[in-house]
Amino acid sequence: MKTSAPVGLFDRVSSMLEIIDRLPDDMSDEELEGVLGMLPADVRQSMGAIFAPRVRKTSITFMKMIAGWLLGARRARLEGKKIIIVPFNFPPELIHAFDTMYPITSEILSTLGVMGLEGQGERYWDMAMGLGLPDHMCSSNTIELGSILGSEDFKPNAIISAAPGGCDVNAKIHEFVSHYLDIPQFILEKPVDDSVRGREQYSKYYRKLVADLEDFAGEELTEAKLRRVAEKANECTELCLELWDLHKAVPCPVPNIFSLFTYGVRFAMWGTDEAVGTLQEMVDLSKKRLEEKAYPAEKEVARCVWAYTSYYFDVPNFFNWMEENGFTHLGDGLDFFFPQYVDTSSRDTIIEGMAESAWNMPMTRQVGGESMSVSWMEDVIYACRELGANCAIFCGHHSCKQTWSVASILRTELMKRTGIPMLVLQGDAWIKRMTPMSVVQDEINEFIRNVVTRKRRGRGRGVRTTGEA
Amino acid sequence: MRHITEQASVIENEYVRGWKGEGRKVVGFACIATPVEVIEAAGLLPYRLTALGNPSTEIADAYLSRFNCGFCRSLLQLGLDGTYDFLDGLIETNGCDHLRGMFENWQYVKPSPFFHYLKVPHITTDDALDYFRVEVRLFKEAVEKHFGVEIKDDDLWRAIENQDEVRERLRKVFAMREGGNPAFTGAETLSILLFSSVVPAEASIELIDRAIEERKDHQPPDFRARLMLCGSASDEVDLISEIEGVGGLIVTDALCYGTRAFWKVEKESDDPVVALADMYLKELLCPRMFDDYPRRRDYVLSAVERAAVDGVIVMHNKFCDVHGVDNVHLRMDLERHGIPVLQLEKEYGAKADFGRIRTRVQAFLEKIGDRRKVGDRA
Amino acid sequence: MLFAGIDIGSLTAQAVLLEDGNVTLSKSISVKPNPVESARTVMGELLEENKLSWGDIGYCVSTGYGREKIQSEGMAQENVSEISCHGLGALSLVPQVRTVIDIGGQDAKVIRVDAGGELVDFVMNDKCAAGTGRFLEVMCRTLGVALEELGPMSQGARGHMHLSSRCSIYAETEVLHYLQRGVDKASLAAGINRSMAHRVMALVRRVGVEKEVLMSGGVAKNVAVRAELEKMMNVKMVTPRLDPQLIGAFGAALMARKASGAAC
Repeated sequence: MKTSAPVGLFDRVSSMLEIIDRLPDDMSDEELEGVLGMLPADVRQSMGAIFAPRVRKTSITFMKMIAGWLLGARRARLEGKKIIIVPFNFPPELIHAFDTMYPITSEILSTLGVMGLEGQGERYWDMAMGLGLPDHMCSSNTIELGSILGSEDFKPNAIISAAPGGCDVNAKIHEFVSHYLDIPQFILEKPVDDSVRGREQYSKYYRKLVADLEDFAGEELTEAKLRRVAEKANECTELCLELWDLHKAVPCPVPNIFSLFTYGVRFAMWGTDEAVGTLQEMVDLSKKRLEEKAYPAEKEVARCVWAYTSYYFDVPNFFNWMEENGFTHLGDGLDFFFPQYVDTSSRDTIIEGMAESAWNMPMTRQVGGESMSVSWMEDVIYACRELGANCAIFCGHHSCKQTWSVASILRTELMKRTGIPMLVLQGDAWIKRMTPMSVVQDEINEFIRNVVTRKRRGRGRGVRTTGEA
Repeated sequence: MRHITEQASVIENEYVRGWKGEGRKVVGFACIATPVEVIEAAGLLPYRLTALGNPSTEIADAYLSRFNCGFCRSLLQLGLDGTYDFLDGLIETNGCDHLRGMFENWQYVKPSPFFHYLKVPHITTDDALDYFRVEVRLFKEAVEKHFGVEIKDDDLWRAIENQDEVRERLRKVFAMREGGNPAFTGAETLSILLFSSVVPAEASIELIDRAIEERKDHQPPDFRARLMLCGSASDEVDLISEIEGVGGLIVTDALCYGTRAFWKVEKESDDPVVALADMYLKELLCPRMFDDYPRRRDYVLSAVERAAVDGVIVMHNKFCDVHGVDNVHLRMDLERHGIPVLQLEKEYGAKADFGRIRTRVQAFLEKIGDRRKVGDRA
Repeated sequence: MLFAGIDIGSLTAQAVLLEDGNVTLSKSISVKPNPVESARTVMGELLEENKLSWGDIGYCVSTGYGREKIQSEGMAQENVSEISCHGLGALSLVPQVRTVIDIGGQDAKVIRVDAGGELVDFVMNDKCAAGTGRFLEVMCRTLGVALEELGPMSQGARGHMHLSSRCSIYAETEVLHYLQRGVDKASLAAGINRSMAHRVMALVRRVGVEKEVLMSGGVAKNVAVRAELEKMMNVKMVTPRLDPQLIGAFGAALMARKASGAAC
């Protein structure tokens, strides 16, 4: 007995973003109420939190950038361009450089679905499970890919898999989709080799990928096209570095949710004007908050580095709740892409620079390294020290087999080398069924009240603006 | 056959004890991508790490998490609790994320006297092959340096020849079990495979020859259907016995501790390092190879035909993503070809799981139709 | 000639005696400490109550837990998986049945059969309490209601409380939390039943739905879970004339008749 095919995540998210796209650049509380009233009950709270007064204007800019990105994909399809699914750890600016291709990042789509759709991503996850895929898959990509596999969703023309080396589960689901849909799969493997040889091998793979994509697109990536995105990417880098520095102030003037926005920009629109504009607004707002010594809570009690991902299925009760209680979210592992300037002198240097960006993308960099624990630890320790963290939290997303396999080493070494304690949670970062947010909150509370504040770490770091710890 | 089964059921078997007793060294490895010939050519005993269904993981669980595969946790347990103290070296391969974590934790807690990371590409492009050829050379050099030996080309060719002899015996065992009167059960075949991966080549050759001779006119016990078993790393002989106890005789497989370990044949270069690298990477029939699914599927399809298989069981250890996903694909493709499939997820080493596995296998056998009833020996 | 079926579940044990294809006699008891004892007791009592003896049984098939041991103890001539038994049992009661959803005390299964009663596909959950009767028991205890009240109670609810967690342990906490907030029990019951149906649907999706659909096992008696499932599948399930808990044993008895060579 066949019922009509459910609507896919892409289409539903696009519909939601069409509303966002028409929003004014700023809104009053009443206007926002009116907009939220048009959305399903499930998502009103999430959107309300994203558009909280203290971040509203910037959030609108960010969401419009995202809307532009996704609606751009629909337009691109109508114009006959090829739509390429990319994983979050693949720098999309390479695809943005093409005139005839357009990138869609599966994890961003999943996250949008989780944050903005009635029922969140669950029905698409259920579709994937209905095919017999195991429940230890990663919801971050399986939600969107479940939609592609199981519903009348848009179908991409090709898929790039940049996780081989860094994440088996990510690599496998992308491979599965390519076979299931009978579309080409372009693999960018990360050799688990930190030596010069390993890096050179990666460059070879990257260059081959560029050539293969050119063949597939039937388009040459000229120096001019590459330079266009590389220059914008450099502007994005500059702004990102500013934002990083702003995090160091005490209390932190950068709103918690900017962590999500930062990698939203990185994974979807890096190398575009819209990305530059969004990052600029994020920097401007943070600077303003620094000047005003603005902070959502009376006191900054904890400065947390999230070692890997955050939780996305309940924005208000995660990002907002944390800062309203004085818990600063300094960024998470997905923010650790350490952008660097691309040398735009020639086609060759640009491609090499993009390969370097790809090498440093989150997950690839930390757990695609020769020693997962060493690479990951280095980044977490660096972030903790640089940003003046007094605690770390590992979200414990159930499907992260690589990080889970060395989380105990990270926790031990972090404590040994910096005295910074790490809380280990367990849950599904994209689906609320596994661990409800109330439990996550309780654990964070317990940790901060009983471990972090008692240790009284974090004094004497960063720029003091209030004279308080 | 009994001797093989006994020796294969203990970690430190008598051959290893004898070897060590002579003052010789043993090097452990996990993955079938490891060219064991390099180890053998250095005069060392290559030992494929197994956990043999070990269910206890208390020490390992302090390091690996409950989201990591039970096989890797069991291996780590044996690494940390002293069972594997006889090893003089460890070769890490990036078989999968769980295995990488396993090795890292092992090294972190109890560093091995010799540790080398053999980095295996996930693809078989020309660039990847070039890279792996250098990797194998570096592997050889690391072994030479640490153990103070020189591995000449002739040594490698000799080792290749020895291992080819072992592989040939294993292929013969498989041919005998895939035939009309399967000469070895699945459990016995697994024991043979396990045995051959932890003893000197000469012992493998001798003992397997004897087993082949012993079974040349063998009549198999009653069974209900001929099955093929595909899936995750499983060295659990008991599990195979449970499946066969319900009446499904495993006549062929595409297992990591199975045909995938020895099917490789072609050697196309005069340089033994290159020959090894190519052979081991190109023939790596493993779901960790992300650009190679069609070949794995075709391998299974041809094995089904060759062994006149009635049904295929595709299983994966809980949290094993590479097999968990590949199996779904295999299931779909096999069913498209009209081949019945049972897709099973299981816990590694959990005897408590056996009851539920028996129920599913029994139902599967009932579904594909009895050929002969268990217990009906009239 | 009498044909017998013995089905040992996680909470109850069933025995069925067949004569000429109809369920002649049946019995259900709570399980004993081990399946062999359960089998001996349930069939023994059934025989005794009807002045029959073990010798009157022409052929017996055992199914469920310990089915092999029951056979080796001589109480059955053969053992067959509960999957096949449920499939055949359901089909015999309603010849148009092609999908059987069996939710027992501690396991759940969805079975697809063809017109001849042969298995087409199946999926089981016997590891996780979520999606089995156990989940409902835990919820009932938390709500302070009897299991048999849960279904009817929710049918009068004005709305339902959404339980987000799939894990029984967290769901229990969620229910407590709602109770403390003063949410009425009817709405909670509705939420629990819907949640249960969702879990079952996850299994159903694995094998797909083909009409007609029959629900068996203890949870089939929960009218609200049935209604939710029907809504989700967009299918009205058929109601067998037999107590759903007996279908497995009935199927086993039919298997016994088939195996002995008697005409079906």
